[in-house]
Amino acid sequence: MNLGDTKYRLSEFWSEFRKERSGLVGLAILVLSLLVVIFEPAILPWKEVNSKWRSIDYWQDNSASAPPAWTNAFTKLKAPVTVRLDDGKKEEASLDGGVKLVTYTFDYHYTADKAPLDVIFHITGHGDIPILVSIGRPDGTTLDLGQRFEQGLAGQDIRISVDNDGRESAFTFIKNYESEGALEQYSGKSLRTNDILFNTAREGMAREFKPLKGDYKLIVKAMLLDPENSKVEEPHVVVTGSVSGILGTDDSKRDLFSGLVAGLKWALLIGLLTSAISVLIGVMYGIISAYFGGTVDSVMQFIYQIVNSIPVLPVLIVISAIFKPSIYMLIAVMVLFFWTGSVMTVRSMALQIKEETYIEAAKALGAKKSRIIFKHMVPILIPYSFASMALSVPSAIVYESSVSLLGLGDATIVTWGQILHDAMQGAAILKGIWWWILPPGLLIAVMGMTFAFLGFSMDKILHPKLKTR
Amino acid sequence: MDSLLKVENLQMHYFTSKGAVRAIDDINFELMPGETIGLVGESGCGKTSLGTSILRMPTPPGRYVGGRILVDGVDVIPLPEREVRKNVRWQKISMVFQGAMNCLTPVYTIGRQMMETLNEHSDLSRSDAESLITEYLGYVGLPPEIVQRYPHELSGGMKQRAVIATALFLKPEIVILDEPTTALDVIVQAQIINLLKKLKKQFSLSFMFITHDLALEAEISDRICVMYAGKIVELGTNAQIYGTQGPAHPYTERLLAATPRLFKKVEQLQFIPGTPPDLIDPPKGCRFSPRCDKAFDKCFQEEPPLIEIEPGHMSACWLHRRG
Amino acid sequence: MTDTILSIKNLKKYFEPHQNFAQSITGGGQKKPIKAVDDISFDIRRGEIFGLIGESGSGKTTTGKLVMKLIEPTSGQMFFDGEDVTHLGKEKLKEYRRKVQMIFQDPYASMNPRFKIRDVLEEPLIIHKVKGSIEERTKMIVQALEEVKLIPPDEFMGRWPHMLSGGQRQRVATARTLILNPMMLVADEPVSMIDLSTRAEILHMMKEVQKELGLSYLYITHDLSTARYFTDRIAVMYLGRIVEIGRADDIIDNPLHPYTQALIEAVPEPASGKLDIVKELPIYGEIPSPANIPQGCRFHTRCPYATEACKREPEPELSLDSAEHYHACRRAYEVQAEKKRAG
Repeated sequence: MNLGDTKYRLSEFWSEFRKERSGLVGLAILVLSLLVVIFEPAILPWKEVNSKWRSIDYWQDNSASAPPAWTNAFTKLKAPVTVRLDDGKKEEASLDGGVKLVTYTFDYHYTADKAPLDVIFHITGHGDIPILVSIGRPDGTTLDLGQRFEQGLAGQDIRISVDNDGRESAFTFIKNYESEGALEQYSGKSLRTNDILFNTAREGMAREFKPLKGDYKLIVKAMLLDPENSKVEEPHVVVTGSVSGILGTDDSKRDLFSGLVAGLKWALLIGLLTSAISVLIGVMYGIISAYFGGTVDSVMQFIYQIVNSIPVLPVLIVISAIFKPSIYMLIAVMVLFFWTGSVMTVRSMALQIKEETYIEAAKALGAKKSRIIFKHMVPILIPYSFASMALSVPSAIVYESSVSLLGLGDATIVTWGQILHDAMQGAAILKGIWWWILPPGLLIAVMGMTFAFLGFSMDKILHPKLKTR
Repeated sequence: MDSLLKVENLQMHYFTSKGAVRAIDDINFELMPGETIGLVGESGCGKTSLGTSILRMPTPPGRYVGGRILVDGVDVIPLPEREVRKNVRWQKISMVFQGAMNCLTPVYTIGRQMMETLNEHSDLSRSDAESLITEYLGYVGLPPEIVQRYPHELSGGMKQRAVIATALFLKPEIVILDEPTTALDVIVQAQIINLLKKLKKQFSLSFMFITHDLALEAEISDRICVMYAGKIVELGTNAQIYGTQGPAHPYTERLLAATPRLFKKVEQLQFIPGTPPDLIDPPKGCRFSPRCDKAFDKCFQEEPPLIEIEPGHMSACWLHRRG
Repeated sequence: MTDTILSIKNLKKYFEPHQNFAQSITGGGQKKPIKAVDDISFDIRRGEIFGLIGESGSGKTTTGKLVMKLIEPTSGQMFFDGEDVTHLGKEKLKEYRRKVQMIFQDPYASMNPRFKIRDVLEEPLIIHKVKGSIEERTKMIVQALEEVKLIPPDEFMGRWPHMLSGGQRQRVATARTLILNPMMLVADEPVSMIDLSTRAEILHMMKEVQKELGLSYLYITHDLSTARYFTDRIAVMYLGRIVEIGRADDIIDNPLHPYTQALIEAVPEPASGKLDIVKELPIYGEIPSPANIPQGCRFHTRCPYATEACKREPEPELSLDSAEHYHACRRAYEVQAEKKRAG
């Protein structure tokens, strides 16, 4: 088979495949998924999701169980969206005594009807640095929210949460407007810092939140006491809203969209690798069993029937529970059971091909067994195996998910099954956190459907080919 | 005498992605009661297409393009399918399909498969149907036990007999036989031909006998209709085609010369070089002209009409006009 | 060098029927072996076309497969070019396959649909490791295609089998067998799937190649009329046995065995005036199963001339009638005389 051949056959296949609507839908989704995998770094809102999915620190700025940002479109009171501000305006000033003052100012345009849950300042420092954060409100007032003096920094991240650190100054601020009595009444009700900071300054602001919409300035000041040996880098501010991202967060504050995108490649890998290897084994097994016949066939069919009658899932669960396997181990175990899927069909097709006159003609010409198998039988059965490959992808994905759902998956990666497992653990259904359950569930279903569509269409096109030749 | 079947200007094309294949292109003929008409020609000349078209079941993507098929004076082409199934197919015209004996389902008994055909086309009670099947098996020379046999237990000849019996169940007037003996051995072939001759008399049937073998047609057909590339090129009586005078059309002549004869030792058998034309884009003029050794200028320009060259003998060749 | 290229002596091939597990334990359902080929002997001479005629079930195809060594004989011997080839080792077998080639009934089925014509023709070269560069191989392929009149060869090399007509495919199949310079060809019904109009063309081509290259053919067919034209000698097989053997003209003009007579009677002739005649065939019923061969003369169940002796006495051996004409009927001459009397 040369290149021209393959091209001709592919174009022939494509011209028929084009007529299969479901196949085209499947192909479109598959291409889309591949694009997502390729451009994953660009698409991920949380770049390090792959390595830090289970890190508490990485997700701590998010709000827990936040619905997706777009849910705002359906609610009357708009909730603030979690945003990360990176483009701070930098100002440098020299003070007396060789001290340098670095000021970063971040603009935050506030339009929601509820106050953000928190405003968190981040800065990475080297050396001894006093840091001061403040907020400038649209009404002109500027509040100092707190200060820190960090010594001996060597590139650590300094995190200042306004909710905690700004509590005092917020109360100082509110005292200008509220009477002592009123304050006493409300402070007991754990008045939140941000409810004050984003409130319209007036009497009664402790009682009722009335958003002061407009442009806020979030300022962080760092004093470099010894400018030669100290510096600050990567300042950014996270305004933690009560809604977050494209698909919200789970109760560990993890961004679900990032998790699902990161899980896609594993779903594809599990599905394709498992089915490719197992179908390849199955095709060879079927051909050899059919071609040699007799005792070889009987023994091979016996082994096949034993393997085929072992239920996969229980074995998978036991193995996972004992070994806590890696994803590759899981794939290997699945292959161990999945190869039986195509054996019977391939065997019966090979039995048919074996009786074809051109096989006899090849024998009469003196062809060896290996030549007959690899030159005459395999090329005819390979296209069929594509179809059966596509059909076994969904079950591989679902099995992995099932194992993960039981908490037995590979703990070093993110898979859709694991996200679902966490959702079950977190009682997402009871709490009504639908954005935690529906997307991974749907994705598993869609991915399975995609390959099923592809498989059925290919099956339809490639299978009758053999009969009519 | 009125004709049983009259085909007028019939056109049936296969609409493929590459264009319309003109498998049946303007065919006219009549079938008289008790007559056998033989359809001969190379493979791909439209013999089988004509057969299925007359049964009003052209193989997809085939569609009627023009003409009429009159069965007892009624055009069957515009009839609804239900009507055709109820009154025409199997009731008036039945067919023994090419290779039908190899298309019997291996998992059902012969009797069950015959019963299925009966149920599809009639509403006889079970016991009536069973006795009918036994009766007809007798006519084709098969013992009644055969109904309990599976196809693989029967020889080719027996299967073909069963298929023929199935075609006769509902007392059709016309039976279309498409290569009924092609896959059979000579002796079995001769036995089947004898059977057909007997059945024809017994039930006063009319046959349309389709084959590529001119020698076989000589045994059974009253009139021979030679087809080439979707058209009739010659139509004449058995005596006119096989008589001493020989056929009129060069195609028939060469086809006959290519038929090997057992008792005539020849050094060199004749053959027709080339292959039948592509019916999507048939050659200009006479369709046989590219393969004809007698072709002259006019043959490549204009299509010859089918003309009567002697009573009951039609031929489509410019040579007849040339004198 | 002997005169004979292939010599077959008392060759038998019995197929043992499949028994299931239970049957093999209980010994129940003991089935008889299928005697596909039951003691046949014949010689094919150098440069001769030898016809093997019979109905389906006569064992002619099994004989072809035995000669091709696609199956092993149950007993008997085969000599090819003076050498015993009854049982061959791997190396010897490959060498034998180079010398004896086969043309199959269905030229389309005998080619892998995924092979181009070039690949089809190159396969024997690859299998037999015929040395040479791509150019040399291409030259051999072109030569073989020219031999079978597929011109221009370059154009055909790039095509797929399904793009050719039946006749062209059979030419390719012939070219495939010729490319290794064989000594003998086994042709199993090579023209039965081909349109009548081109059948003669293929036979003519095969005959020309045979003359040109001095090949020997074993031509297996059920069609007497092409056999007469194509072959030098004919053997008629019935139920695994040869019942008559002789020169093609002798067999057809003067058949001695009643079975041969029936075969000849059954062939339709393209002549007028046979419409109202129901042909009286001198034969009854259909061929019995080779698992259940009748006692005595195996043809007696269908023979209109059979006597008690034919049923009871052992099977008649082939006996010589005239030069090279043998038959296996004890009543051959009586029947002939009877027929003459009847007119």
